[in-house]
Amino acid sequence: MAIDRISVRGARQHNLKNINVDIPRDRFTVITGLSGSGKSSLAFDTIYAEGQRRYVESLSAYARQFLDQLEKPDVDSVDGLSPAISIEQKTVSRSPRSTVGTVTEIYDYMRLLFSSIGIPHCHLCGAAITRQSVDQIVQNVLALPEGERVMVLAPIVRGRKGEFKKELEKLAKEGFLRARVDGELLSLDEEIRLDKRRNHTIEAVVDRLLIKTGIRERLTDSIRTALKLTGGAVLISIVDGEEKLYSERMACVNCGINVPPLEPRSFSFNSAYGACKRCHGLGTVMEIDSLKLIPDARQTPDKLGYMGTADKQGSAYLRTALLAVCKHFNCDPKTPFADLPKEVREGFLNGVTG
Amino acid sequence: MKWLQERLHEAPSEKVRVALEELVSPTVCSECSGRRLRSDSLSVQVGGRGIAEYTALPIEDAVAAFEQVQLNSREEQIAGSILREIKNRLRFLKTVGLGYLTLDRSSATLSGGEGQRIRLATQIGSQLRGVLYVLDEPSIGLHPRDNQKLLETLSALRDLGNTVLVVEHDEETIRRADYVVDLGPGAGAHGGEVVAFGTAADVAENPASITGLYIRGARKIEVPAQRRAPNGKYLTITGAYANNLKEIDVSFPLGLLTVVTGVSGSGKSTLVEDILYYALAQHLYGSSTEPGPYKNIEGLEHVDKVIEIDQSPIGRTPRSNPATYTGLFTPLRELYAMLPESRERGYKPGRFSFNVKGGRCEACEGDGMKRIEMNFLPDVYVLCDVCRGARYNRETMAVKYKGKSIADLLDTTVEEALPLLENIPQINQKLQTLLDVGLGYIKLGQSATTLSGGEAQRIKLAKELSKRATGRTIYILDEPTTGLHFADVHKLLDVLQRLVSLGNTVLVIEHNLDVIKSADYIIDLGPEGGEHGGRVVAAGTPEEVARSRRSHTGHVLRPLLNGRLARNGNGHK
Repeated sequence: MAIDRISVRGARQHNLKNINVDIPRDRFTVITGLSGSGKSSLAFDTIYAEGQRRYVESLSAYARQFLDQLEKPDVDSVDGLSPAISIEQKTVSRSPRSTVGTVTEIYDYMRLLFSSIGIPHCHLCGAAITRQSVDQIVQNVLALPEGERVMVLAPIVRGRKGEFKKELEKLAKEGFLRARVDGELLSLDEEIRLDKRRNHTIEAVVDRLLIKTGIRERLTDSIRTALKLTGGAVLISIVDGEEKLYSERMACVNCGINVPPLEPRSFSFNSAYGACKRCHGLGTVMEIDSLKLIPDARQTPDKLGYMGTADKQGSAYLRTALLAVCKHFNCDPKTPFADLPKEVREGFLNGVTG
Repeated sequence: MKWLQERLHEAPSEKVRVALEELVSPTVCSECSGRRLRSDSLSVQVGGRGIAEYTALPIEDAVAAFEQVQLNSREEQIAGSILREIKNRLRFLKTVGLGYLTLDRSSATLSGGEGQRIRLATQIGSQLRGVLYVLDEPSIGLHPRDNQKLLETLSALRDLGNTVLVVEHDEETIRRADYVVDLGPGAGAHGGEVVAFGTAADVAENPASITGLYIRGARKIEVPAQRRAPNGKYLTITGAYANNLKEIDVSFPLGLLTVVTGVSGSGKSTLVEDILYYALAQHLYGSSTEPGPYKNIEGLEHVDKVIEIDQSPIGRTPRSNPATYTGLFTPLRELYAMLPESRERGYKPGRFSFNVKGGRCEACEGDGMKRIEMNFLPDVYVLCDVCRGARYNRETMAVKYKGKSIADLLDTTVEEALPLLENIPQINQKLQTLLDVGLGYIKLGQSATTLSGGEAQRIKLAKELSKRATGRTIYILDEPTTGLHFADVHKLLDVLQRLVSLGNTVLVIEHNLDVIKSADYIIDLGPEGGEHGGRVVAAGTPEEVARSRRSHTGHVLRPLLNGRLARNGNGHK
């Protein structure tokens, strides 16, 4: 016969009066009674404690030394026990690093999810960052319809100010014939003059091809050359059509920001690899509170006490600083702090430029 | 500012450092705006959102967001199972009624009940069977509406093939259980026996069971015949916007029993504890804890004391007991010192303390117990072999009042001590209040560590009751019915009503319907938890709230007040 009940015999823990209780297994049982009638003594201190104790007893003596010793509850016998798990209140961690996500372990799964299929985006321009191998880029280009004319470009300069004489000369020396400067195809044989106060975009033209069978090798070589020239980026431009920028490394092609390979720990705020550099993953930082700094906003700048006598030197410095800011904005140092113009108060707290 | 920050790190002297540290408070990090991760990590997206965007969503919305994530076949192979696991776990959290929490919520700010339900959700997720789950009052902090969800979860746990054992007072839970064990009949020394067992119906039929009486409805907490009319004085908070509060204006009527209620996470504790209590404490006692943000508070002049009564223990050492806590011990010791025998021997009140040298047993230093360290076995406590647990030495115990030594007296219950000490008004009054709050069964010298949370709370209430009431005191209680049986709730309500009758204001955060229906005034927050909460849904007498269509509380309150609603429109008119 299957065991269908948990039988407690002779329970005397705390105020229990040597009682016998049967609790049906695989059922939902409620123990009730007045406050202090011994409910917890029966449920936790007898049944759960005994289940827990037996489990711990089954461990090796070596493992047991790391666990708290459990006292045998005052009971004659408890039969039909299963491994017991107690779900009590007040078991949550008080650490500031513990969140609902980490306690439920959902966050761990999310870290795994993001590190495996997450798509990095550039945190400056917001563009998606993808990595493609040379073969993948070639594959993509060859997938274009036959007969399309394609240019393989190597982006050298993207929207920066300057004359770029050196860069252009270097390209010519390396044997490139043409470059696309600000969208215009120019020959590198001739001297190109650029306005140094303007933003310019320069791409070296590595190759021009017609899509058809048998160009794979030439295309691969051209793309390799472009990637080598730029350190990992290549622009494929369909003549009179769209352009697509490919990157061999995890880097933003617009801003040139490199993204480290993604690992689960990159998303953990409890690891140096993922945590915000400033708050070390806490989300908050201890900072001087401007409200607490000004002890009495009705006071005039020349009389403000600040830290009082505890830090005379510091208080004096602050007083001088505020008076200087007042002078800078030509305002009366006899006005109470709260009535000072906004720019004076902000200037005092965050500094004045110039 | 920057200069100060640097000065803080390289303070010229200890004194300066201390002064500067006073000025520091935690502010949201400007680099990550509280998202905790470095910018490269934050900008990694799955399904068009970053990781911090998911964690900032309430769980119910996060489930929907993850549902929308489409994977291509390659991604499906890598991450399909991970995504399923995330969705499952989120759904479990939603089932236990925690859909309003966000994943980035710091667990330090969770209530005990929320923490318990998180663990419960994790357990259901583990899909084990054949396990014995023991739960301690899972219904605490749950609005009756959320309680339904919880009970379904527990049933689901059972249906997986587990044994679920719950310590609970909630009527709904008892009714839903397959099997009920009722312990009693009284508490403490009067308890510890099985009074009734069987299905809820069996227990209800058992005449010996107090629980049965309440389930059957033979005994119940009556709706007060009359609500107190407000006395025209109010404490008004305007523009409260801490946590999820939506810049609300709330008036707390003074001189009434007011209950603040609402579904879990609707902002009750934020309003009452974080704003009202701390604002009052700051105003009245100059407390340094900053209250949560609000615009203005009016009516402070009507209040001169604010007292919070929670269920934390009255002391953590075995040397603290009901007599010491309520201040009963001092007059008691003076009484003993005044006896002719003490005068003869020159015993002062100090002689009758077990905490100082002189009268106490020196073998155990007044503990009554001796701790024996057993190295690899747990420490064993044995009765002190010199005083046999009496805590005093023989000479001290020779002084007797009505045939009882001080040690004997500490070993008697409140009930038994009352006739002995009825002639000393100071002591009599304190004992009477302990009896009134239903603690007649505790021993005067019972160590504080053996008292339950509910008992500790009532001892605190008794202490307050025995003080001379200023009539302008506000008492704040956060879920006082935690751990209390119907009969205990009944007693607690009587005590609270008495405090109010003395002219005080009692403010209770509560889900217990018996308490809600007994209130003079209800403030119902909601309508839902988390971001969907934080507004005042209804306010007024229980009858008024019961008529509100939008209020979840009103909905469950209606059947309880049925007769009343038809008969007269307003409670106090």
